Amino acid sequence: MEIGFNLNSREFRRKRDLLWLLTKKEVTLKYKRTFLGIFWSLLNPILLTLILFIAFKIFMRIQMENYTFFLLAALFPWNWFSASITMSTGALIGNVNLIKKIRFPRHFLILSTILGQFVNFIFALPIIIGFSYFYGKGPGINWFLSIPILMAIQFTVTIGICLAISMVNAYFRDMEYLIGVVVSMLFWMTPIIYPLNIVPEEYRTFLILNPLTYLITAWRDLFMSNAIDWGNIGISFGSSLIFLFCGIFIFQRLGKRLDEVI
Amino acid sequence: MNCVVEISDVWKRFPMRRDRPGFKEFIVNLPKFAKRNSNSYFWALKGVSFKVEKGECLGIIGENGAGKSTLLSLILGNVFPTRGRVSVSEKITPLLELGAGFHPDLTGRENVLINGVLLGLTKNEVMEKIGDIIAFSEISDFINLPVRTYSSGMYLRLAFSVAIHMDPKLLLIDEILAVGDETFQKKSREALLRLIKGGMTTILVSHNLSAIKEICTRAIWLDEGFIKAEGEPEEVVEKYKGHIE
Repeated sequence: MEIGFNLNSREFRRKRDLLWLLTKKEVTLKYKRTFLGIFWSLLNPILLTLILFIAFKIFMRIQMENYTFFLLAALFPWNWFSASITMSTGALIGNVNLIKKIRFPRHFLILSTILGQFVNFIFALPIIIGFSYFYGKGPGINWFLSIPILMAIQFTVTIGICLAISMVNAYFRDMEYLIGVVVSMLFWMTPIIYPLNIVPEEYRTFLILNPLTYLITAWRDLFMSNAIDWGNIGISFGSSLIFLFCGIFIFQRLGKRLDEVI
Repeated sequence: MNCVVEISDVWKRFPMRRDRPGFKEFIVNLPKFAKRNSNSYFWALKGVSFKVEKGECLGIIGENGAGKSTLLSLILGNVFPTRGRVSVSEKITPLLELGAGFHPDLTGRENVLINGVLLGLTKNEVMEKIGDIIAFSEISDFINLPVRTYSSGMYLRLAFSVAIHMDPKLLLIDEILAVGDETFQKKSREALLRLIKGGMTTILVSHNLSAIKEICTRAIWLDEGFIKAEGEPEEVVEKYKGHIE
């Protein structure tokens, strides 16, 4: 994974074009033969929010104001994360022909998957802004500072995890099934549908060990109350770097023998 | 003369397990995996060395499973040698499988663009050539339809057309000399020959022995991972023929 420093070199432009085209392919292909197209990407988290709202607010009567906004503010970032993970698990083994017959940076397959999901997240931002106007404090100056930072952190951690699992999945196809379980486990073990302070003190450690807790909480604090908690951001950033380095290490290490197993 | 490809004492092995183990087997057999026994490998290449000079057309012949395609993948860089060194000093244009990057749901035009960039051009460079590519492929109106609607001949014609418009510096060809119906076969073969005769460095794997004799400037006969003969195409092909009869 070499990084081009000369921004005007032909090779750099080619790689930029390639990443752009692969991402575009990812986005257009996903909904190409559907009727609602890209709106499915919004419909998914919205319907999930609706279901969760019915289950927890109406049936289980959780005591909280603006529970819908509370859910959405965490579900959109979560959706970007979880969909990237699920989709990139098969990103390498689903492109055997490309990997075997054409030479190009293989990690672009994973980056484009994550970028494709990122586009969905961008599409969701107007909804969050709308909710913020009606139920929250409205978007403030903090948003301009914090959104890029949180996006960068989430990119970093997602890239790290996706690089590792896509490559490991080429060696052990069990990964695909394991990821299904782990992602749904993570969903319930991250404060998405409940706030962190609702969790009994003695179990809170489990959630505190989960790096996503800080990231999701940081997103929600920003969207709902215009707040930046540098502590949360710092921890998310630190752990995201660890994930990235591990991911790159695994991807490069196992990538050398990818041709033998794919 | 400068050397474009240099292969020095390259060995390549593949694991021979019929089914790759799952995670459970991996954990259970961890001690065994740690000291894997060497019998479970298949050596595809056993100490191959050669050079390809600029402007040469090297033909590689040999029976199925002799290691020809592995050798091309090594030069392409998608496969790493187990031992030895492969160095390549030019941009490679692979013609290993036509339409390898094509997606059935994308239109011909979209596929040309992605394939062109995958094969080594920038987006603008592909855009400049896209007219020529489409004209050569004789796809005309179908270009804006998804390639899943194409006949297999159309599919191959478009893929071939992309590949030969890539300004290749070093061309790797696996059996693809001509595609399509008879008229297009003639046309594609001529276009390819023009590139090769025009002094482009080419490495060609083929079972078509008369084509090897006709096109190549040098030939290698690979047999079970060894180079059995190397030299003038005529001689190498005769030796190979003697062996198979």
